[in-house]
Amino acid sequence: MIDVQELTKQYAGRTAVNNISFQVEPGEIVGFLGPNGAGKSTTMRILSGYMPATSGRAMVAGFDVFHQSIQVRQSVGYMPENAPLYTDMRVKEYLRFRAELKGLSGLTMRRRIGEVMELTGVTDMRKRLIGNLSKGYRQRVALADALVHKPKLLILDEPTNGLDPVQIRHVRDLLRNLKSKHTVLLSTHILNEVEQTCDRVIMIHQGRIRANDTPANLTRQLRSTTLLHLEIDGTGSLAEKFSAIPAVRKATEEELLVVPWRRFTLRVEPDHDVREEVMQLAMQQKWRIREMHLQLPTLEDVFVELSMNTGTPTDTPTHVL
Amino acid sequence: MRIFWILLKKELHSFFVSPVAYVVLALVMVLNGFAFRAALSVLESAPSEGSIVSWTFHAMWFWLSYFFVFPLLTMRLFAEEKKMGTLETLFTAPVRAWQVVGSKYLASVIVYCVLWLPSLFNFKFAHWISAGQVELPSGAMGGAYLILVVMGMFNLAIGCFASSLTSNQIVAAIISFTLSLMHFLLGIFIMVVGRKISDTIVDIVNYFAATEHIRIFTAGLIDSRPIIYYLSMSLLFLSFTHHVVEFRRWRP
Repeated sequence: MIDVQELTKQYAGRTAVNNISFQVEPGEIVGFLGPNGAGKSTTMRILSGYMPATSGRAMVAGFDVFHQSIQVRQSVGYMPENAPLYTDMRVKEYLRFRAELKGLSGLTMRRRIGEVMELTGVTDMRKRLIGNLSKGYRQRVALADALVHKPKLLILDEPTNGLDPVQIRHVRDLLRNLKSKHTVLLSTHILNEVEQTCDRVIMIHQGRIRANDTPANLTRQLRSTTLLHLEIDGTGSLAEKFSAIPAVRKATEEELLVVPWRRFTLRVEPDHDVREEVMQLAMQQKWRIREMHLQLPTLEDVFVELSMNTGTPTDTPTHVL
Repeated sequence: MRIFWILLKKELHSFFVSPVAYVVLALVMVLNGFAFRAALSVLESAPSEGSIVSWTFHAMWFWLSYFFVFPLLTMRLFAEEKKMGTLETLFTAPVRAWQVVGSKYLASVIVYCVLWLPSLFNFKFAHWISAGQVELPSGAMGGAYLILVVMGMFNLAIGCFASSLTSNQIVAAIISFTLSLMHFLLGIFIMVVGRKISDTIVDIVNYFAATEHIRIFTAGLIDSRPIIYYLSMSLLFLSFTHHVVEFRRWRP
């Protein structure tokens, strides 16, 4: 359904997307995961035919996104970030306008508009001005718009952004139900969300793909590196001694606290708890410890780590770490 | 073409749903009323060669309404969509840039034409109420409204272009106003310094002097040169607009 080859996008000297390649098969729900500014939106805009790439090639539903832009746009339902809509139109009026633009007409169109309004839960709002709707409802209207012409591919840029938990669950269920009819590419920065919805996750950071795997595999790997924070009073090269503990990958000293306290962060191997070893070491060396706590990494930490680990990225980065 | 009509319908809808069209209409009606009153008082005071039509379109009031109309009608066309982000939604539907530019432009031309309808009524009414004593030469009427439309098309194309340059409506309005005004002042400038410079330059500048066009056309002389000039300039500015809108899709 999607075939991206060595895609690069540069904005006035800044590289937003850097030489990425990936495929999406029909019927898949693929999540684009990455921190803000990672290049998710840029990639999606290129795929939806809104703007061209600087170099590389992208095919959507068998059409080239640059040379056959109109055909691509006919087969894609795209929902931009923040759901921009015409605020001076009423919900049904807007959907009608969009459906007409996308080539629907007559009874088929009226029936389809009814269907998508029902599907996204905006039927009760059909006569309201979009400008008076809450963010959650606007998001749903935008989703209804993306769905209205039964596109082969749905590209949704942060579809659950700004929704409350109930609405998020609703959208999630909706996406799962759509799976049989549409291929879905959605972006998010919420790890939890992709776990529950997507068949596959493509992680993107600083314009490069860092990982491309199933959520189960990915989260197992992501959650594996834990951090141990320490505040210690001791002299000498403590970092070296911590590194000597087998399960510690790396020990780094953070900024200097009030003398004599020093702060360390240890990166620990998956499924290991080194707290007791650290404690024994401290007792042997007669160090005083005033703080020690274990931290499961947040998504942000994972990305920081990812970007450090892949200093020289390979062309086919399929597995993390 | 179907897409074009759908877009045009939507543009007209947003003109008439927002208060802009009505506010502009009201202002134009008031100023036209003053212009008409000024023309009547000229005819009242002394016998005159010009008809009521030519005097109306020579009044300062007319030019006042003329200039604020274009920025007001065109400033939101692209700037608003850019600011709201709806340009992205629009261009990810299967529409082409010329359809968007063309529909927005045509919608503004249609609204502009509607604005002058009340002034037509002023003339007809004066003619009727005076039992034909206020003469309405058909040449002057036809010429006046023809030049109004083509001059409008030119200035609206400038406004369209200005709006495509920015996401700020105020900036768009100022650019469009400045460009229209500069074009107009060129003619005024020649009127002021006309005696001091060579006739060739005066003739050349008079080719694109709006005041001169109004003078000729309201006298009932329909000259094809200004019409071609305005229409081709409109096309030029529309193609500029098209390029600006398509800029996003340029590829090095």
